[in-house]
Amino acid sequence: MPIPNGGLITETNRQYYAGAQQFTVPATAVNQTFTSTFDTNLVVGTGNYSDQATNGYNLNNFKVFLSANAQTWTELTPNSTDVTAAVSGANAQAQPVLNIVASAASEAGNVIGVFNASTNVFLGTIVTFTTNAGVNALTLSQNLPTGGVSNINVLLRRLTPWQMSTPNIITIIGSLTLNTYVKIELNEDVKENNFGGYEYTRLNDVIDNFLIAYVGAGKLIPSVKRTDVIFHARRGLQEFSYDTLKSIKSSELTVPSTLSLTIPQDYVNYVRLSWVDSLGVLHIIYPTNNLNQSPYYTFTQDNTGNPIQDSNDSNTEATSQMNPTWAKTNPRFISGGFRNDANDANVMDRSYSDGSLGQRYGLEPQTSQKNGWFKIDERKGTFNFTSNLANKLILLQYISDGNAYDLDARIPKLAEEALYSHIIHAILSVSSGIQEYVVRRFKQERSAKLRNAKIRLSNLKLDQIVQVMRGKSKWIK
Amino acid sequence: MAINVNTVYQTVLLILNKEQRGYMTPVEFNKIGTQVQLEIFEKYFEDLNQQIRIPQTNTDYADRVVNLDEKISIFKTIGNTTYANGSFSLPAESGSSQATFTTVTPAAPNAVPQAYTITTITANQLASGTTTVFLDGIATTAYSINGVIITFNAAPANSVDIFIVNVQDDFYRLGTVIYSAGALPTHELQRVDRGELYHLLSSNLTAPTTAYPIYVYERQKLFVYPQSIQSGVQATYIRKPVNPIWNFTLSGNAYVYNPDTSLNFELHDSEQTEIVLKVLLYAGVVVKDPTIIQVAAQQIAQEQQNQKS
Repeated sequence: MPIPNGGLITETNRQYYAGAQQFTVPATAVNQTFTSTFDTNLVVGTGNYSDQATNGYNLNNFKVFLSANAQTWTELTPNSTDVTAAVSGANAQAQPVLNIVASAASEAGNVIGVFNASTNVFLGTIVTFTTNAGVNALTLSQNLPTGGVSNINVLLRRLTPWQMSTPNIITIIGSLTLNTYVKIELNEDVKENNFGGYEYTRLNDVIDNFLIAYVGAGKLIPSVKRTDVIFHARRGLQEFSYDTLKSIKSSELTVPSTLSLTIPQDYVNYVRLSWVDSLGVLHIIYPTNNLNQSPYYTFTQDNTGNPIQDSNDSNTEATSQMNPTWAKTNPRFISGGFRNDANDANVMDRSYSDGSLGQRYGLEPQTSQKNGWFKIDERKGTFNFTSNLANKLILLQYISDGNAYDLDARIPKLAEEALYSHIIHAILSVSSGIQEYVVRRFKQERSAKLRNAKIRLSNLKLDQIVQVMRGKSKWIK
Repeated sequence: MAINVNTVYQTVLLILNKEQRGYMTPVEFNKIGTQVQLEIFEKYFEDLNQQIRIPQTNTDYADRVVNLDEKISIFKTIGNTTYANGSFSLPAESGSSQATFTTVTPAAPNAVPQAYTITTITANQLASGTTTVFLDGIATTAYSINGVIITFNAAPANSVDIFIVNVQDDFYRLGTVIYSAGALPTHELQRVDRGELYHLLSSNLTAPTTAYPIYVYERQKLFVYPQSIQSGVQATYIRKPVNPIWNFTLSGNAYVYNPDTSLNFELHDSEQTEIVLKVLLYAGVVVKDPTIIQVAAQQIAQEQQNQKS
């Protein structure tokens, strides 16, 4: 079904898969507008964002293209509007008038820039112009350079070929021809963000839907402040993010020689840290737990053990001794591994003696692993790793709270009903005059729907369970 | 849809004169009519509040909330707001009470007068509304208005069109405030008090955004947050009903109804009997007849009982 027809899908196939929306120009005219209907809002940078030479252009999340046949597309930028015109006669220096062979691209009002066609040197914008006997006398915004201008070609360039003055409405400034084509195409990363978006419901939609369906005269919640609903929806999303949603973020990082990595900006808790071997297989890195921790305070002490204060009456601190001690420790001394060179998951890459690895008397299972350890330095906000992980590629999987970025503010449809139940329970439980049995009813409903969401999102598939269970009859020595 | 002012006046006169109880002059009628219309109009909002808390039937024409909404809907309107100095002004004029007046000055220079009588706009409208005067399409402020007489500081030139526009300031109650920008969805603004505003602004979860903006309503201004919103705000509101006027021309000693310069009651047609009864109630006070007052009051009470029970 390529055309949205009243269902929840509002983008065409082309908008979704190609990230492009195409328009046929309805008339030959200037300043024609084209309205984007992407699910994603168009974003532009500051300044002259239509010019690829500006930083504002880099902040755009889309590009504008023109085509005469809808097959060969040209991005609409100032450079793409260049029209070459020959300079007519000799034009003296230090004065603003430049004569060119009459060109239809001449336009007053400082919207057209004039450039030297061979050197691309900017000569000025056209303030006004007059036409006489096949010659356009351009009055430029600045005087002509030393030596004047003669016997060259100039480029007449529209400095701002398109604008987005109001959200999602693009205005093409220059003249477009009837039945040619305009295309708005999202950047690649924006397109990818949209892929799979139907799996989710945006939090804004949840809030609006809740206000429509659950609030009003004759309902349990006759009126509620929208800000209350926003608060409970966001809090619900946070709570769900911690243990219900599969919103695991991951980051591929290399452990530097300092053995520490800064905690990600949107980090709430880690799920797993693994290092990646040459086959790309993950090996879990375990937390140090009771082996070692980073101290929060490292006070300097006097002879009696009390902290020493500085001139501002604050305790002074020294460099931690625990961290460097731990950093230089060879994990093999703790794990008890004989060799540490079997660094990938290749089962063929093993020697005869590997069979005895870890089988000596006094094995401590908790520490019997060769992948190394990590710890979190809460004071510095870093992950610290053991020395065997230096320069290793690691994968950090962690959870956020669903509120860090706009793109995060969405909930899987499998848990949408649970979020409605969470909001209604949260509101009823703090409202006056609501009987306790009603509150309890919605508490149970919330609990049941949350459990349901957890089961749905745990992604238990029968064939996968069958595959795992095939190992049940394997002999365990 | 409006209730003809002449029908009401004639009905009232008929009832009053039937027993030779008295006579109500047009001036008295116009003032009482205005009072009655406002009284009934204001009651709609209290009635709606009462009815909305009562379960309604879904049957056509019997849902009292719907019926009330139908009466109020006559006065529902939407208008643009204007941003200036950090706040939005209310859309004070719906334009529904607009009246115009056009004249042409005489050809002879010496005959051009400075003062003109405005015939299509009443003195009340001129006093309460915003009047703009154009001379050949160019706005001028070199004039003064007294009653329905406009006097220019200097006599207009020959053959100049004098065009007078009067727009009534008819804002009554603020409804929903909405914000739209470009092709983005329209968002409703939430009304908050100054007391909770600062908590909201400093809250990381509920701070206003362009998707969920808020406003404070003070001094007949809308203070919108986030403050990046400086255009695209509209407000729905209830406008005031236009005062009814039974206007006339004199024919000898008789008042002859002039439909061109009269203004009808704006209330819903279903209010005709209510208006007549209430005018009669006040008429009874005017002509000092307790019987009229008693009968009218009983009828009104009976009607209201039927409407609300």
